[in-house]
Amino acid sequence: MDKKKQFQISFVLSRVLNSGIIMSIEKNEKEINGLEKLVAQITKLSYVSVFNSYTGALHGALNGKDIVHGDFVTLSNTSENEQKFLNWLGVFNLNNNETDAFDRISVSWDNISDFEKVLLNHSTVVVDLTDLGFGPCAVVATDEKSVWEKSERLKIFGAFDLRTMWTQEESHPDIQPGIQFNYRVSPLVAACAKVSLIKRGVAVEN
Amino acid sequence: MRTDFFKKPLDFPSEEMIYENLAYFGGKAILPEDNRKTNFPYITKEDIMQMLISIQHEPNKVIDEFANKYRGYVGANYAIPTASGTSSLHLALVGAGVQPGDEVIIPNFTFIATAQAVVAAKAIPVFTDIDPKTYCMDVTQVEELITSKTKAIMPVHVHGLPADLPQLQEICYKHGIKLVEDASHAHSASIDNKVCGSIGDAAGQSLMADKNFPVGGEGGIAFFKKEEDYNRALEFLDASGIDYRMSWIAAAFGISQLERLPYYDKVRARNAQFLSDALEETDLFIPPYVPEGYRHSYNMYRIKLNPAAKGLEDLEDYKVKEAIQRIIMEEGIFAREWQNRPIPGHLPFKNQKGFGNQYPFSLSEVNRKYKVSDYPQTLDMFRNTLTICRELRSPIEYERIQSYALAFKKIDQNPDMIRKVVEEIGELELPYEKDARLG
Ligand SMILES: Cc1ncc(COP(=O)(O)O)c(C=O)c1O
Repeated sequence: MDKKKQFQISFVLSRVLNSGIIMSIEKNEKEINGLEKLVAQITKLSYVSVFNSYTGALHGALNGKDIVHGDFVTLSNTSENEQKFLNWLGVFNLNNNETDAFDRISVSWDNISDFEKVLLNHSTVVVDLTDLGFGPCAVVATDEKSVWEKSERLKIFGAFDLRTMWTQEESHPDIQPGIQFNYRVSPLVAACAKVSLIKRGVAVEN
Repeated sequence: MRTDFFKKPLDFPSEEMIYENLAYFGGKAILPEDNRKTNFPYITKEDIMQMLISIQHEPNKVIDEFANKYRGYVGANYAIPTASGTSSLHLALVGAGVQPGDEVIIPNFTFIATAQAVVAAKAIPVFTDIDPKTYCMDVTQVEELITSKTKAIMPVHVHGLPADLPQLQEICYKHGIKLVEDASHAHSASIDNKVCGSIGDAAGQSLMADKNFPVGGEGGIAFFKKEEDYNRALEFLDASGIDYRMSWIAAAFGISQLERLPYYDKVRARNAQFLSDALEETDLFIPPYVPEGYRHSYNMYRIKLNPAAKGLEDLEDYKVKEAIQRIIMEEGIFAREWQNRPIPGHLPFKNQKGFGNQYPFSLSEVNRKYKVSDYPQTLDMFRNTLTICRELRSPIEYERIQSYALAFKKIDQNPDMIRKVVEEIGELELPYEKDARLG
């Protein structure tokens, strides 16, 4: 990160620290929600779910597409790490045999200003924000509500668990959770990713 | 400017308040409606300064600095900082040698992540009931649950009271299995001055926002006693490709907050003692039990009700609990349910979908039916206890802890009113018949 961006990020962190409770599961949490809305705007995909790592978001997208242990997926040009993770999930990759189940893209300071250009006509995308340097963070963006629901369901205390917390009634008994992980990101990380995507790489002082 | 600074000081409470009308019936509340929030952790200029320093350093350096400092504080040999408590438990189990299809014995009463971490390790959770005094794993049930598949026991220091590790350790030695701590509620808690997280073969600990040592939203840390187990966890991270890394931002916040942890712990312990002493003076309320040599960290403070002491034993206990909860909420003190159903009764353990297609539950040779009725002590606890969470975790003012104590004393004066509210409530579902809430 260059000096100007450091300044900008320091300012954002100070602002969030000053605002009190920093909690991903707080009812009126603003940073994670803000990041989700912003990614929806940029990608023009209506439903967005933030994860605390790229592998988490990958898992979310697979789950969203009902691809689980023992199933097959097509994802081309996977990295060694992606392949290891698919193996660990028990999902077999058909590699380049068919169209990819969804798209994957990594955002860095080099492509932050226009990464969405390569995302035309895609309905589900995993966007990795880790390279921005705030810590592991990625999102699943989709225009299919059911994909969003099933990827969100994978999170302990995701949107569904939070709702049940207050109502004590499952709102979606049809999409029952199986294994769940804590894939929730810190609002501090989300705040930094959010401001970076607002400024699109241009450092503005304040 | 958005700020968390409380501008309104709390008035000194007075003993007279006990004899006033209950707020539930229109009287004056002990804590005024606009003065019930508590603030935790304190976020100060030191945290901002540390952030300004850390942003200039290599992320890994910041994370290592945090992990080393906290590992030293806990007295553990090896540590892996993580993105969450759940991931730290997963790593602790894998490091301890848990393999797909193994069994891990855990208490049925905990946060769901304890059990999900076992499934994440592709192992099968086997649940015990709780000891009704400590609410921790009932140690007497453990041995009969051990099979040739059992690889580890993972007690939870629930609410912040250390589980009976000395006895569990003996069982582990005897059967050649590993002891893994879920120390997520137990920052700075200890047994004979040995800090939780450093006692078992491995441990996982949450550092998320609702814990006694929060590092800026989400975080966790895994501890290991032996290098071999630590290395096994690192090898697993490499082989699985999973990204469980902590953010440097969380680590930076952790560095500055760690300096303040002993202060938070002291104020909380003092406040908990004050409240326990006050509850001892009532008939209706029984404070948490703490065995000799054990240090409770009071991440949560669970109060047992004793309706019989007030002639209320003819009423259903869970209705009395509900009535008291409603009454005390009106006084401005948040004493509530924390968990309402044994974890084996939550959807993921009823449907056993796991990673999909029933994996890893399909690896088990026994067809385990998880039934909530197998945990009568836990069900009892859900029927007759109330828990104070964040409102006692925060380093609250003397006026505030005095107010809490007065609210309980006020209710203790009013058994007839409790009866009236129970009658008003009428029909009520049992807590564990409602859908499961996670917190
Ligand atoms: C007992 C217990 N274990 C594990 C966890 C999981 O930690 P995290 O939420 O940081 O993943 C929590 C808290 O959330 C907990 O209370």
